[in-house]
Amino acid sequence: MLDWLQFVLAPQVVNGLSIGVAVVLMALGLTIIFGLLDVINMAHGEFYAIGAYAALALIGMGLPFWWALALTPLLMAALGYATERALIQRVFNSKDRHTLTLLLTFGIAIILEDILKIVFGANPMRIEQPISGATEMFGLFFPNYRLFLMAVGAAVIAVVWAVVFRTRLGAMVRAAAYDRHMAASLGVPVSVVYAGTFAFGVALAGLSGVLLAPIYSVFPTMGRDFVLIAFSVVIIGGMGSIKGAVIAGLLLTQVQSISSLYTSPVWSDPLLFGIMVLVLMWRPHGLFGRLGHG
Amino acid sequence: MVEALTIGRATAPSAGTRRSAVRALSYAFFAMALLFAAVAATLGDVFFFRLATEALIFGGLALSVDLLLGRTGLLPLGQALFFGFGAYVSALTLKHLAPSLPLALALVLVSGTLVGLVGGLIAIRAKGVYFALISFGLAQVVSKIVFNTRELGASDGLIGVPAPVVGLGVASLDTAHAPSFFLLVLAGMALLLALLMRLMDTPFGRTLDAIRTNEQRLAFLGFDPWRYKLAAFVLAADIAALSGALYPMLRGFVSPELMFFQVSGNAVINVIVGGTGSFVGALYGSALLTALKSVVGSFTAHHAIAIGALFVVSVIFFPKGLIGYLAPALERRWSRR
Repeated sequence: MLDWLQFVLAPQVVNGLSIGVAVVLMALGLTIIFGLLDVINMAHGEFYAIGAYAALALIGMGLPFWWALALTPLLMAALGYATERALIQRVFNSKDRHTLTLLLTFGIAIILEDILKIVFGANPMRIEQPISGATEMFGLFFPNYRLFLMAVGAAVIAVVWAVVFRTRLGAMVRAAAYDRHMAASLGVPVSVVYAGTFAFGVALAGLSGVLLAPIYSVFPTMGRDFVLIAFSVVIIGGMGSIKGAVIAGLLLTQVQSISSLYTSPVWSDPLLFGIMVLVLMWRPHGLFGRLGHG
Repeated sequence: MVEALTIGRATAPSAGTRRSAVRALSYAFFAMALLFAAVAATLGDVFFFRLATEALIFGGLALSVDLLLGRTGLLPLGQALFFGFGAYVSALTLKHLAPSLPLALALVLVSGTLVGLVGGLIAIRAKGVYFALISFGLAQVVSKIVFNTRELGASDGLIGVPAPVVGLGVASLDTAHAPSFFLLVLAGMALLLALLMRLMDTPFGRTLDAIRTNEQRLAFLGFDPWRYKLAAFVLAADIAALSGALYPMLRGFVSPELMFFQVSGNAVINVIVGGTGSFVGALYGSALLTALKSVVGSFTAHHAIAIGALFVVSVIFFPKGLIGYLAPALERRWSRR
């Protein structure tokens, strides 16, 4: 029993945690964009893929991985800002904002995925692991890069939480989400806040792309399956809830990781979506509330 | 009256001239399809017949999306679930029971109703974007299950589905013969379109319009929106499943890709580009995008970028779609005379 805990369960839990923090970063971007803008960003997976490719390109230009890690979120934020300003803002004030923005980001996803195929080709590529080796803990060896991933992820999640709930900027963002007209009349530059929020969400997607690139291979459709997990995390946690995204993200990736001990990993997706459907049947709005609402 | 969800609706229920404009555009669609068939048959072509038949079949799926999106105000992101389900049931029937079209359609109708009922009971609970995402999630679950089930051919799907011969009283029609099958599918879609347009003139259709416009007010008037939404969902599931049932006869195989999100997404694109709420717009959209894919696809493998760009442009600038712009133009021309 103790052996089983140490040699079977523990490695799975750590693996699940390292994927979990990346999923949470993705889900945070999605949930912030929804919580504030009411936009279901169907292109989030493609932004994740672009993040991975941007890192690949920067490293290909001779920059070290650490530069790519720092630069990619900035580039992605610029891309996100431009996308919001050029496209999403055009349907933002429509009566069918929900549906139109969902459809629009779906169209953007199709275009971005094809652009990636044209620029980088359809074949998978790899990024060298920037941190090699493993650390021994409790008689087990954990890859250093995965430990690093968990640390960075946890730090980013903490920073995002602190910015949203503990700073003046975060208060403005929450105010704009709660009542945009009232916020605007109090001097919050609502349209800049909206574009900035979208950019921030996209940057988080790009960041998880860079962080996971050394673990998985990089290919144009890499965002598809990953974003499905992020979507179920956001739905289960409650669209727009940061707390929900973190809790549901860590729980779901643990379910995925531990269930693979008992069943073939091909069943993990049906399992996750099954859980999502069950949660939605029980609580149609997810487990926790909205960003601007408590 | 406040219109809560309009996504560029092509028809106003009360406008008689608008309806006749849509009807004229429907006739025009089938006239063009027959013209195409005449030209293609003269040239002895098979490839374009098959392509056009595929456009019609996916047009049927788009019709089911339009019933939910354009009329009931529900955006389904997983309608391919029912399409693929119909295709699998049809393929299994043709392959293992009997190569009979009526039998396949009957079994698809019965099982499609049951599956639609189960899916509807789950999905109808949610509203707005949550409905969209739950329908998306359901399709993901089922497509992954099919993808992983060896008895259903797993990722390879089912191959070698026989094309049945349909007895039509005095004559018989071979679905393996491309022009014959095209005409059969065309007749089927004409019937489906006529039924749907007729249905929208009934109290049931009016109630669906009312749900889209203001569900809460409908409830205050003493109607139970849930029941009507469920009925619309099951009906849409049947339409999608019956359209899917024709697919294995065309291609001779079915694969789990038929249930994937791309198929659901394409159906939504067809509806938006063609014009929501008009039904015939779904068929126009499907024909237009299949043609575009084939033309652009002959130059480059990256036709998705053209489709995506067309879709983005139409969402931003032409949310009423093709029919939403053609029908009022036709109407104006008539009223000027």
